[in-house]
Amino acid sequence: MKVGSTTGDSAGNDRAELSVLTMLFICCMLFSGVLYAQETAETEIPATEIPAAEKNAEPAVIEDARAATEDSQVDVTSRLEEILKNNTKCLRCHNRDKSKLLEDGESMSIQVHREEYLSSAHGEVSCVSCHEAIGNRKHPSKSTNITINSEREYSVEMNDSCRNCHREKTTQYKGSVHAALVAQGSTKAPVCTDCHSAHAVETMENYQAVTGLPCKNCHESIFNAYSDSVHGEARINGNTIRDTHIQSPICSDCHKSHEVTALGIGDPLRTTCIGCHENVVLLHTQWLPNAGTHLDIVSCAVCHAPFAKRKFDLHLYDNVAEVPVVQKEGAEPLQQQLQAIANEGGIGDPLEIWKQRSGMGQQGQAMDISLRSRMEVMSGVAAHQIANKSFAVRTCDSCHEPGSRQRQNVTVSIPQADGRMQSFDADREALSTVDAVKSISDFYALGGNPNKILDYMLLLSLLAGFAIPIGHFTLGKMIKEKMDKGEQ
Amino acid sequence: MSTNPSEQNQSEYWIKARAPELYINPLPVRIWHWLNALGFVVLILSGTQIRYTNLFNLMSFETAIKTHNWVAFAVIANYFVWLGFYLFSDKITVYHPELNMKKFFTRAFAQIQYYSFGIFTGERSPHKVVPHDKFNPMQSITYQIVMLLVVPIQFITGIMMWDIKRFGNAIEILGGIEVVNTVHVLIYIFFVSFTLVHAYMGALGKTPATHFREMFTGYEEEH
Repeated sequence: MKVGSTTGDSAGNDRAELSVLTMLFICCMLFSGVLYAQETAETEIPATEIPAAEKNAEPAVIEDARAATEDSQVDVTSRLEEILKNNTKCLRCHNRDKSKLLEDGESMSIQVHREEYLSSAHGEVSCVSCHEAIGNRKHPSKSTNITINSEREYSVEMNDSCRNCHREKTTQYKGSVHAALVAQGSTKAPVCTDCHSAHAVETMENYQAVTGLPCKNCHESIFNAYSDSVHGEARINGNTIRDTHIQSPICSDCHKSHEVTALGIGDPLRTTCIGCHENVVLLHTQWLPNAGTHLDIVSCAVCHAPFAKRKFDLHLYDNVAEVPVVQKEGAEPLQQQLQAIANEGGIGDPLEIWKQRSGMGQQGQAMDISLRSRMEVMSGVAAHQIANKSFAVRTCDSCHEPGSRQRQNVTVSIPQADGRMQSFDADREALSTVDAVKSISDFYALGGNPNKILDYMLLLSLLAGFAIPIGHFTLGKMIKEKMDKGEQ
Repeated sequence: MSTNPSEQNQSEYWIKARAPELYINPLPVRIWHWLNALGFVVLILSGTQIRYTNLFNLMSFETAIKTHNWVAFAVIANYFVWLGFYLFSDKITVYHPELNMKKFFTRAFAQIQYYSFGIFTGERSPHKVVPHDKFNPMQSITYQIVMLLVVPIQFITGIMMWDIKRFGNAIEILGGIEVVNTVHVLIYIFFVSFTLVHAYMGALGKTPATHFREMFTGYEEEH
């Protein structure tokens, strides 16, 4: 049948058309699927891309990535490639010279130099390891309504992300004077990125080179003093301490790199110096009377920074806890408390009155506080001007001479809760009055602080030593003359 | 009277031959006395140099400290020569011949009168010097206070200041280094006048040199 045959032919054509259409559909689907997948890959960071280790605040550095790889049997190379690939996506925009307007009206550069970052210590760390919020698809933008108030605030916030990998260092930092100042609202105290930079993070070796020190950014005058010192020169010249491979100290060797402390009163400073100069006690004992006491109460720089101005620095000492009295956090400054007591005009030593009013010591025990004194240099700059030991002061008179220049500088220092030292000038007579015997019973410098009353007593004794014999001799002569006259 | 003159050498015999003499100061006492005198002079001078560095320049501060320390230890050692001699000999009686306070004060008053007047009019001293009672009451009480109280305190405070760190706890108990130093200086002040007056009193013998010579030879002319 024609129809039939026609029908039969048309049915065969239909099948062929259907097959072509189906093939085209499948091809379109495959093509669109490929395009979709490619597009997705370009526009999104898949949740699976951020390794579980990173999300759970585990180290994202390559060592940790390797450790994670061992556990999960994932190929390290592919993971690294994946990180770098994704970083490349971030850098595609952030490599450009761009800035962002912040809520405080300032603009913040959001440029990350590709080469700098990739060659940095963090070059193999994924961007989202630190910028976690962005990893969670909260890239700051108008659409997400996430804003940055100020560059400083952002830097402080970002400090926490360092903890993800550098837990020990950030814990040390939390105990530093820098962190204390940041907590107090300082806008200058450094956070991690101030020293390490946000993206051009150097390796540790680079920070140990004199030129790479970030400390000088804030402490320039002190750094310059250090650079000219025996320590700085030796470091710059790459000299090592004799018979060892140890280099001359750099800032962090004395002040620590993260748990940065102000080397204030006594023992920490001495211990730091003796940490390298082990035989210093023995060497001083060989010529210096009372060497132990000298090393206890005279800061090393007083003699070893020969051109530094010096001072007598008084501080309150808790004899029970055996630590200097520290200004309690939030309490009225001790200086003001003592001044207020002095202004009341009552009878007695303000310090004694203060002790009675304060009641208890730092450890909750009965207060036993005395005023102690140390010889210090006048400034932090001077403390770093350490000269070669051949220039060290060895003339005792410079400290033990009454009325010496040093005696004219007397300060009272009170360590603050954050570790910094607050000093204020004191009356220079504080060291040479009768009251001083009681107030500063733990301090005495031979020849340096003669009590005026004792001086008068000595004069009286000397006069008596001559007057008694002369008087007795004269009396005898008079009696004899009188007797002779009587006989005549 | 002199003792066993036939065994003395010629010069000593000549000294004793001039007048009746008593052997008052045995050799250990004489050694102690003169070493002590020399030590005291050096200690006073070096101590003054230490305390008043800019008053005179007898020696450097460092030398003064070292001299003061070495001589002080020599004087301390010498003190035990004195102490040992009197503890282990019967001569201890020179300090306490008679424990009678009434008699002591009566004799002390007489001695004061003698030094105030009688000594100038040629009177004899009310105290008769004999080997077992060589000190008059004033000397006895003064030397006992000096040797058993003042000098030991000076030694102790000096030793404490010699090594403040080692004796830190003891210094703390005594009220701090400033207190210890003040005590040391007060005693030094006392010894300045004591030494001068003591030297003058030594010149109040028959001639100014009599007592000095006696303290070298050990023999004292009988009064």
